[in-house]
Amino acid sequence: MYGDFEAQRHWMEITIHLPIGQWYWYDLGWWGLDYPPLTAYHSWVCGKIGSLVSTEWFALDSSRGYESYNQRVFMRATVAVSDYLVYVPAVVIFTKWHSRAAGTDRYDRSIALATLLALPGLIVVDYGHFQYNSVMLGLAILAFASFLADRLLWGSLFFVMSLCFKQMALYYAPAVFAYLLGLCVSFGSRGGEDGESRGGGGNGGFSITLPAPLKVRIDLQTLLLLGVTVVSTFAVMVAPFAVFPGAEHGAAQQLAQMVHRVFPFARGLWEDKVANFWCATNVVFKYRELLGQTALQRISLGMTLLAILPPCGLLFLRPKKNLLPWGVAGCAWGFFLFSFQVHEKSVLLPMVAMTLVVAGGLDRDLLSWIGWANNVAMFSMWPLLRREGLGLQYTVLTALWSWLLSLHELPSSMFAKILHVGFYAGAIALHVAEITVTDGIVQRFPDIWVVGNVLLCFVAFGSIYGWVLYRMADEAGLVDDLLAVLGRASEEGEKERLKKVE
Amino acid sequence: MATEHPTFSQCLVLATALKLLLIPAYRSTDFEVHRNWLAITHSLPSSKWYLEDTSEWTLDYPPFFAIFEWLLSQLARFFDPGMLQVNNLNYASPQTVYFQRLSVIVSELVLVLSLRRFVAIQDGPQAKKVARIIALSLLLSPAFLIIDHIHFQYNGMMFGILIFSLSDALTDNLLRSGILFAVLLCFKHIYLYIAPAYFAYLLRRYCLGENLLDIQIVNCLKLGSAIGAIFAAAFGYFTAIGQIPQLLSRLFPFSRGLCHAYWAPNAWALYAFTDRVLILLAPRLNLSIDSASLGSATRGLVGDTSFAVLPNIPPRVTFLLTLAVQLVCLAKVFMQPSPTRFVGAVTLCGFASFMFGWHVHEKAILLPLVPFSLLALQDRRYLGAFRPLAVAGHISLFPLVFKAAEFPIKSAYTILWILVFFMTFDTVVPVAKSQRIFFLDRFEIVYMTVGVPLILYTELFHFAIFGSKLEFLPLMFTSSYCALGILGSFLGFFTLYLTS
Repeated sequence: MYGDFEAQRHWMEITIHLPIGQWYWYDLGWWGLDYPPLTAYHSWVCGKIGSLVSTEWFALDSSRGYESYNQRVFMRATVAVSDYLVYVPAVVIFTKWHSRAAGTDRYDRSIALATLLALPGLIVVDYGHFQYNSVMLGLAILAFASFLADRLLWGSLFFVMSLCFKQMALYYAPAVFAYLLGLCVSFGSRGGEDGESRGGGGNGGFSITLPAPLKVRIDLQTLLLLGVTVVSTFAVMVAPFAVFPGAEHGAAQQLAQMVHRVFPFARGLWEDKVANFWCATNVVFKYRELLGQTALQRISLGMTLLAILPPCGLLFLRPKKNLLPWGVAGCAWGFFLFSFQVHEKSVLLPMVAMTLVVAGGLDRDLLSWIGWANNVAMFSMWPLLRREGLGLQYTVLTALWSWLLSLHELPSSMFAKILHVGFYAGAIALHVAEITVTDGIVQRFPDIWVVGNVLLCFVAFGSIYGWVLYRMADEAGLVDDLLAVLGRASEEGEKERLKKVE
Repeated sequence: MATEHPTFSQCLVLATALKLLLIPAYRSTDFEVHRNWLAITHSLPSSKWYLEDTSEWTLDYPPFFAIFEWLLSQLARFFDPGMLQVNNLNYASPQTVYFQRLSVIVSELVLVLSLRRFVAIQDGPQAKKVARIIALSLLLSPAFLIIDHIHFQYNGMMFGILIFSLSDALTDNLLRSGILFAVLLCFKHIYLYIAPAYFAYLLRRYCLGENLLDIQIVNCLKLGSAIGAIFAAAFGYFTAIGQIPQLLSRLFPFSRGLCHAYWAPNAWALYAFTDRVLILLAPRLNLSIDSASLGSATRGLVGDTSFAVLPNIPPRVTFLLTLAVQLVCLAKVFMQPSPTRFVGAVTLCGFASFMFGWHVHEKAILLPLVPFSLLALQDRRYLGAFRPLAVAGHISLFPLVFKAAEFPIKSAYTILWILVFFMTFDTVVPVAKSQRIFFLDRFEIVYMTVGVPLILYTELFHFAIFGSKLEFLPLMFTSSYCALGILGSFLGFFTLYLTS
């Protein structure tokens, strides 16, 4: 009955009425606070402002489940204002820096900006379903923009803020960590060459060079400063809870409770129906019957690590600016596909991250893939959106997006053409079936269209993950290197053959 | 010529997407009015159309509109037959809402096509470019968005027919222009306000020759029989069954007050505002107050408006004033008939009836706004007169959509429209051939700067300061502010029309 709207409203209610020490403890059965502290502070601000208009909206306890026209408008307005204060400027700044680094021209830059502002999935989840993802995403994008502008410390500050707004930003964290570490660590002969792309602490500070066989140079000063920034930002964010823990709980207990609320390890492998590896293959293998909770958690962790290793590894070894969005996107896709406890809305993270690459230059293939990926993500959220009566918004936004990006122009490779067209055919068939077929098979399998949706989207998301890795490798020059190696091999083979002939 | 971006169809797609997203938005009682008409025309024989009064929203548009509703009702059956029952008052199932909203969006294609035609009839690349900008400004006009797609009406289609007719007049295709206008009158009789301009122009250009005595008998017969046939098609049946008096009483309800509940921003709004101010000053100036009428103009009722200090205005005065202004324009267009002067006369007839008419509705601002748009880019002086109208005309529509959720949409869209199009207008308008009017110039800048704080006050701060008290105050400010702008624009354009 109640959902995210009531959760957010309730948090405004408890944050403005209760001392900070009780925020993570108060009547947890009714939508207890389970987001990190920055969300709580944001709720406090919104609740305070809203209470100026009407004290009824956020009255303690008595306002549970309260909804009225004006209050709904107010809540929607907080989403819009937060979006315009965080996400929009972040995207503008990011586009500026990324296109500067990549040398994108002004026209393409405007298109990239428009693309990022028009993301249908983000609009429909934040403004329709009701969440504040744009704040978390905006802060993360601001962090990426700072990295591109060589302001590593600002970047890590923003990234920690993003994490402190919504723990979901962890999907990006390994890639960010790998990128920053990669900037601090350089390998032997390529050390000097990478000097340009390194920012922040610069080369003047102290660094150590490991003994000859390893040829590793570590920029200790930058590393240390980054560590201090991250730790102190976290500390500032959680400090109010430790400083004012209240009478009932100690400071340590407060922090432990926060972690416990933010990371509910006890929940299941997946929630509802999500187009990730676990939910899709569950159609065949009933994991929950075959394996225990702990074993599943371990396997899932292992597979996630495996999936994020290529993008993160590449970022660590070649921390180039143009690779950052690709690495972050690959890492987020790895999490979405294989990790534990994924929501269908989590697809926003990889989706937004991979759309960021448009600021680095537009080509037809890129636009086709990214436009398509956004459509797949939108379609994967259809069961949720349908339940919430957002069919009109879903249809119009998807159609408008496809038209804006001219998605009738398919990518050049035959495989991609078949994949895209096949997906659209499948998605349309599922939509039509859902409307027209009402008995027979639906009575036996009431979830059949949702399962079809999950399977179709899983195949698509898997391919998108693969494509991101391929494009990233291409961008990093690995594909050219590989081709060169192959070319040299075949050249040598040819020479040898000629020699033999002689 | 290279295609210019954004193209007409690109704008159309974007605008349509926005309109589709507005389907669930606030809708006024006009939605129920039109639903009731669907039900009446669908379930009753046409002899009962103008007699039926189960709902208070009786059919009060001419027969062509009724037939249009009947045609729509044939499609509506497939959406939800429930909306077609006369007794289903205030019926608004999701299917009904979708059907009616979509019918507005689709019928607006008439406007789209008419704007394309308006661009197509221009000669030369420069004229086409200017016409294209005008067409885009009308296609994306906040007025149509607010009135048709949020408030709910079918003005897009109606003004489409008008623009088709004006385009024909601009290309000297006078017979067809007259026929189209007659058709339009049989759709919606509000266009009677601009009929005098048509009458004068067609009489002078089509029915009389260069020499006034040289009567073109063939043309007179053609035009007369064509218009006669159209009116016969519309009203013939009702004449035959003797319902004309009943029909006219529906079309022209004379029992209403001078000002509508929310004062349309015209001369009478300024008059009423002066009256309210004089009430406050009365004790000092030793004026006598008619205490019986203290609350009348602001009670918010559709009823008789009476003034406390100033003399009351009888309908005769409004009629005579309107007629006087219209006669001046008609004399001018009769003496020097030219296509653009004719469009000017249409604009001024619209202006005059809006400024001085009896019980004018704020939506009637479209009547001068649309034809003036077609002339606005002639030169800087015209643009200077047009700008206050474009600002005030759109802001005056804000109270139509008074719910909080639509506030950001209407204000952001209107401000964006004003910024984008005012800047674009500036790039294409040639410098005036003669001296600019100093006063108008300065007036315009001051006027527009006042607009933004006014919107903020009326829409946000008033509520924050007074809560739900003094509800009429923001409305009074809006309408007086807009009346000032529209009056300025009217005077400016009137001067230009008479002197050029």
